[in-house]
Amino acid sequence: MKLFIFAIGGTGSRVLKSLVMLSAAGVKPIDENGNPLSDLEIVPVIIDPHKSCADLKRTESLLNAYCQIRKQLHGDKVNARGFFANRIVKLHDLAAANTRTIDDSFIFNLNAVEHHKFREFIGYDTMNQANQALTSLLFADYQLENKMSIGFVGSPNIGSVALNEIKDSEEFKAFANAFTAGDRIFFISSIFGGTGAAGFPIMVKNIRQAQNIDLNNKEALRRAPIGGLTVLPYFSIDKGFDPNDRRIDTADFIIKTQSALEYYDDTLTGNKASSVNAIFYLGDKVLSRPYEYDPGDKRDQKDPAHFIELIGALAPFKFAGMADSSLSDFNGLPLPTKAFEYGLDKDTAEIDFFALGKGTRALIFRRLVKLHLLFMYLRTGFAGNIGQGYTEDNPRITREFLSSQFYRTLTTQFFNPYAEWLHEMLGNQRSVHLFNMGAENMGEAIFNVKTKKTLFGSKSVNNDVIKAELNRISRDNHDYDDGNVALKLLDLFDQAAEKICAERFDNIN
Amino acid sequence: MKRNIIYLACGLVITLLFIIFNVNVYETAYYAQGFSDQFFNLGLYTPVSLITAGVAWMGAAIYYFVINSVRFDRWYHWLLTLAIVTLLAPIVCYALNDYVFAKNDLMYITESINFELVNLAITAILFIVASFSMRWWSSNCRHTPIPQ
Repeated sequence: MKLFIFAIGGTGSRVLKSLVMLSAAGVKPIDENGNPLSDLEIVPVIIDPHKSCADLKRTESLLNAYCQIRKQLHGDKVNARGFFANRIVKLHDLAAANTRTIDDSFIFNLNAVEHHKFREFIGYDTMNQANQALTSLLFADYQLENKMSIGFVGSPNIGSVALNEIKDSEEFKAFANAFTAGDRIFFISSIFGGTGAAGFPIMVKNIRQAQNIDLNNKEALRRAPIGGLTVLPYFSIDKGFDPNDRRIDTADFIIKTQSALEYYDDTLTGNKASSVNAIFYLGDKVLSRPYEYDPGDKRDQKDPAHFIELIGALAPFKFAGMADSSLSDFNGLPLPTKAFEYGLDKDTAEIDFFALGKGTRALIFRRLVKLHLLFMYLRTGFAGNIGQGYTEDNPRITREFLSSQFYRTLTTQFFNPYAEWLHEMLGNQRSVHLFNMGAENMGEAIFNVKTKKTLFGSKSVNNDVIKAELNRISRDNHDYDDGNVALKLLDLFDQAAEKICAERFDNIN
Repeated sequence: MKRNIIYLACGLVITLLFIIFNVNVYETAYYAQGFSDQFFNLGLYTPVSLITAGVAWMGAAIYYFVINSVRFDRWYHWLLTLAIVTLLAPIVCYALNDYVFAKNDLMYITESINFELVNLAITAILFIVASFSMRWWSSNCRHTPIPQ
């Protein structure tokens, strides 16, 4: 099953980043029987005209690193286990080789939109006086003057006009061609801004009305199970330096949200039009630390990662694991929209693993701990172990591995953003305190988790313990005879960390 | 696994042959008129060969399966163990020889020291044989002293 994830706007990109982190940790969707989905391919598509947006660029870079690492580990195999298990592919890679007319990128090409001011895009200057007057009633002056290369600056009324172009794009056609019965579609967007709030309903409308457009797979698209994560207000924004610049204002978020929710109820989720099979609402009454004011043209919108984005990233997994029968009727048409919310186990300002609900912990706790132990081991212990123990088993891990493309991508392009992601979530509000970032001792690396007690103290977790466990598993394991050194390292570590989590730490479940 | 069993079998056969033909081995390596005859007459070759082989194999087993530590898995750690074992076996054997000779009012101090120097080399060889027979099953030291 392919899961097409359309991440719309800045929030879409940031949630997608968390989804990549979880996928790297090996978090997989669980089906209704409690088994991990074995045939899932994730196809992320980022929709954002604000191409210089730092959050978008960081997510794209992370996606590229993930795909490189994953290809080296598992090739094109769909069903994999352990770290980097979920296969993530570009829409471009799904298109038949001879019909690849779209960019080799995760980003939806919005050239038709992004190079214009909104007034140019709608041809304001060529309108007659009456139409200009009407347009001026619908759009403020700053909206008409808005350069769309910085996005829609919190104005869904601009986005809803501009993004309607999407249905005629090569990317949309490529998506329609790649979509087959059995695949699913998921949207990630915020509801209190511009791009996401507008993009979600427009995309759903275009998919559901595919029969009116010249596309392949129209019927499959009309019946496609569609889910959406609608992110309610969760961050606040500083007042800008210019008191007259009120293009984005935290005070407007709630009213914008109410309006958009009413619109969604009419067109997407309500009894009149259940065109979305499942909707996940996620927000927080505790707003983030105020982000620096930036409509998109100040500092290219580099906002810190947030707890809501981490939880939001679980929504597409939940949706992918839902049974067909809970989403569609026997004709394959959508059942009334199922709505989901998320609740913490403990309403606290500092979120550790135990503040999350039991279901969330079961899904991510051990996997994230294992990824973090890998992060620490690669930074502090691995290089010193080369030439010893498990590294000498076939296939041998030699010093050349340290300068391989795989290792460099993993340790710099992936783990640097990983550390940054954790730091950002820790420094935000609510503070996500999963790991003690400064800890050198692995036994103290998980916040509020101790190692098991022994007669004379407590069990230790350090590079020696990890090396010993890797040595033991490697001795009994001959699965890497094809010479895939990268797979050997990460797969052995996955097994070793599993045992260490179970035997040495308290309460990782 | 098959290869490892062959190594173990070879090691055991070599050690067994050494114990069976201990007199030939020792007298070929070191023969001194009087001392060697008394050594033979007092039946010391067999206990000495058993002690030597036993210490060598026990030393290797302790290194590979009891210590078996990631902090003691380098070639120089193995070499240190070899040094200890190759000193320990001749010292124990010397103590035995000395006790038996003293009981029989015999005195061969220089010859005994020379003999134990030879035994030291034999212990080292047996330790190497034992190491290469059993190291494959060690979780942390199977690549010591040289990778498989």
